[in-house]
Amino acid sequence: MRFSALLRKELRECLPWLLLAAIVLLVFGGFFLRAETYYESDRHYSRLSAGTVVDHYQLTFYPTLNLTGPWLFCLSIGLGLVLGIRQFWIPHFTRTWPFLLHRSVSRKTILTAKLTAALVACVISLGPVWIGLYWYANRPEVFAIPQTPRVFIEGWIFIMLGLVAYLGTALSGLSTANWYTTKIFGLVLATIIIVTTLSQCTLAGIFAVIAVSIAILLVQIFDTFLRREY
Amino acid sequence: MKLKINLKHIATPTKIFMTVLIVLLAVLILQGIILQIERTFRPSATTKPEAELTQEEKRLNRIRNSAKHFLADGTIHLIHKPRRTTGRMDEPEIAQIYDANDNLLWEGPYNRRPYRYLSWAMQLRRYGFTRKRMKQMQMLTPGFSRNIEIPVSSYNKTEQIWRYYPGADYFMGYNINGGKIGYIGSTGFTDSKLKAKPFGKFRFFTAWCPQDSVSPTLLWQTQRHIYQIDFEKQHVELIFESTDSDIEIERTSLKAWRDLKPGAVGSSDPKKYRPLLICGTEDGKYHLILREPRQQLSLAVPHPWVTATKKNIFVRNYWGDVMPPADIADSRELYDKWLEERRGKPRNLWVELYKVDDQGGLELLNRYDWTVPDPSMPVVRARDPRPAVKRYVSQISPLFYDYVLRLLGRKFWSRALNYQNRGDFFYSLARTILDFRPYGGVINRVLIALMMIFVFLHGWPRRTSWARFVFWVVFAGLFNLAGLLTYLALNHTAVIKCPVCGKRRGLARVDCVRCQAELPAPERGKLDLIFST
Repeated sequence: MRFSALLRKELRECLPWLLLAAIVLLVFGGFFLRAETYYESDRHYSRLSAGTVVDHYQLTFYPTLNLTGPWLFCLSIGLGLVLGIRQFWIPHFTRTWPFLLHRSVSRKTILTAKLTAALVACVISLGPVWIGLYWYANRPEVFAIPQTPRVFIEGWIFIMLGLVAYLGTALSGLSTANWYTTKIFGLVLATIIIVTTLSQCTLAGIFAVIAVSIAILLVQIFDTFLRREY
Repeated sequence: MKLKINLKHIATPTKIFMTVLIVLLAVLILQGIILQIERTFRPSATTKPEAELTQEEKRLNRIRNSAKHFLADGTIHLIHKPRRTTGRMDEPEIAQIYDANDNLLWEGPYNRRPYRYLSWAMQLRRYGFTRKRMKQMQMLTPGFSRNIEIPVSSYNKTEQIWRYYPGADYFMGYNINGGKIGYIGSTGFTDSKLKAKPFGKFRFFTAWCPQDSVSPTLLWQTQRHIYQIDFEKQHVELIFESTDSDIEIERTSLKAWRDLKPGAVGSSDPKKYRPLLICGTEDGKYHLILREPRQQLSLAVPHPWVTATKKNIFVRNYWGDVMPPADIADSRELYDKWLEERRGKPRNLWVELYKVDDQGGLELLNRYDWTVPDPSMPVVRARDPRPAVKRYVSQISPLFYDYVLRLLGRKFWSRALNYQNRGDFFYSLARTILDFRPYGGVINRVLIALMMIFVFLHGWPRRTSWARFVFWVVFAGLFNLAGLLTYLALNHTAVIKCPVCGKRRGLARVDCVRCQAELPAPERGKLDLIFST
């Protein structure tokens, strides 16, 4: 009961950002996806000529959702950063940590509520919009050639990267060290993980990198939060 | 409380791991910046003016630099192209054609030469789509990963798209007006997913549009098979199957195989040449697949250049005594000895032309020999052969890199640094480690010793347990500067003077490490423990 009350409180605080991310993705992602339909015929105009060797670059194509991808990627990372700042940095500035920590709930419950709220926020704000865009792009009357399932998975990887950015921000926010020492390391690790993920070819490799990084960040967040003096 | 205790055991190693990873990266970036600054401001090397060559040296130079071409009857010609006047690209390319006895036969613009030489099958790797490119294509980007899509068109309007699915290893076809067509796999076209068979592990492909079509045909090479896929006719032809060993990507060549229009890049005269495909397998054999009529032969010649005219099949072989004999190639010591014996002596090179009979036997038609001066570079005896700046910059690298190199072995590193993996995250990581390894130099050892002494002196008054203290000293030794910075980032605490023994003590432990006296309680009105003692 106390957990659900805390969760509601956290979700209430995340709600504006959550809605903003969903609306921006829906508007801009949808706009660019719609724009792609007008270029569909141009995309299938063959530039190959008979009796010549084909340059392989003429045979490799980005999926039709490729203009939506950067929006999903940036919004996910942005949402992760904003949620991390909202949950772990703002209470420092507004000096509201003691009010939260002196409630009759354990620190573990408070932290779990924050993390669950962030996870739910990332998933329910961008997830349904992404599913909707993918579904729309797969309708035969929109694009004759359907999207590959890999594109759908990659969209969810972007959402997971948002979670990595959130955890990195949270760790940096919780750290009591100075800026010029280890306080920024949470964010640096999140950046390294995002860059590393974007240079991976196999989905297994991507999931392994993300899983390891989430585990490293989560363990440290719990450890720091449970031991920290406020 | 239980979670706290359990977490501490996991959280501390993860914190160390995260911190050392970031610090190592920061040190690498710093090393890279230093090298880049040095490269930018390095004074350009001055080249010595070359000594004037004698007539004989000039002749030998010309022979060495001449292209050696064969006529269809086996006659060899040496073609020398003098350098053009600098900046005069409009001048025609002049060639001097000599016979084997060094008599000048003809001189003039190369494209007007009166001789038609044999042309050879060209390697495809340079122009085709390799495994490396396939990996790059699958790399995750903000715009998602890419797909291979083969259009089937008529009058420049695409009617079908055949998309390759790397996981399933087959193509799936879609109508441009909607609807699925079927699947193309190793067994050909099928309309059922269950019946579609994968091609096998992808290695390489090249594509061309035949003269009567604007739809690409693909030559698709896997680990053990080569297929030709005609998407327009939805037909798959198995060109070659290797049952014993894998096909090597680098050794697949084509001559007149593709139906290209005359004058197009890669085209050959179809009246003179037979369609030919050559592929090498890892067992050292070369397999010749010919058409018009269909024929298959195997050769055991190292690195041959092959061509097939309507009348004969020819093999050209460049070789020389520059390569060590096979029995000493695997031994570093024997190889070095062989190299030392030959140092300063000229090398013999030769080119041979063979005619291939129907059973794959070779008949020598012609051979030409020439010599080149010793091409070996001056011997670098230093343990660390890198340039001085890189050598010095690498001294702050961790000793750990050397251990990782030794631990994983040469086989692992040669596989990791295979050019096929270039662009990979792990390739870049391996390359960086190899570039900045400290080579266990004296300066590196001295720096490590200094880091360890620093950690020892810093950690002694702050130690909370012996195991922890020893761990951090060893850690600094293993990771050098990165180890020291990690140690400081995670362990630096303020020290106070112990009120009992008067020596310095850290605040992370309740009792003094020397006299075991407990921390003093703050006096009334003096809450600051550090400045009040």
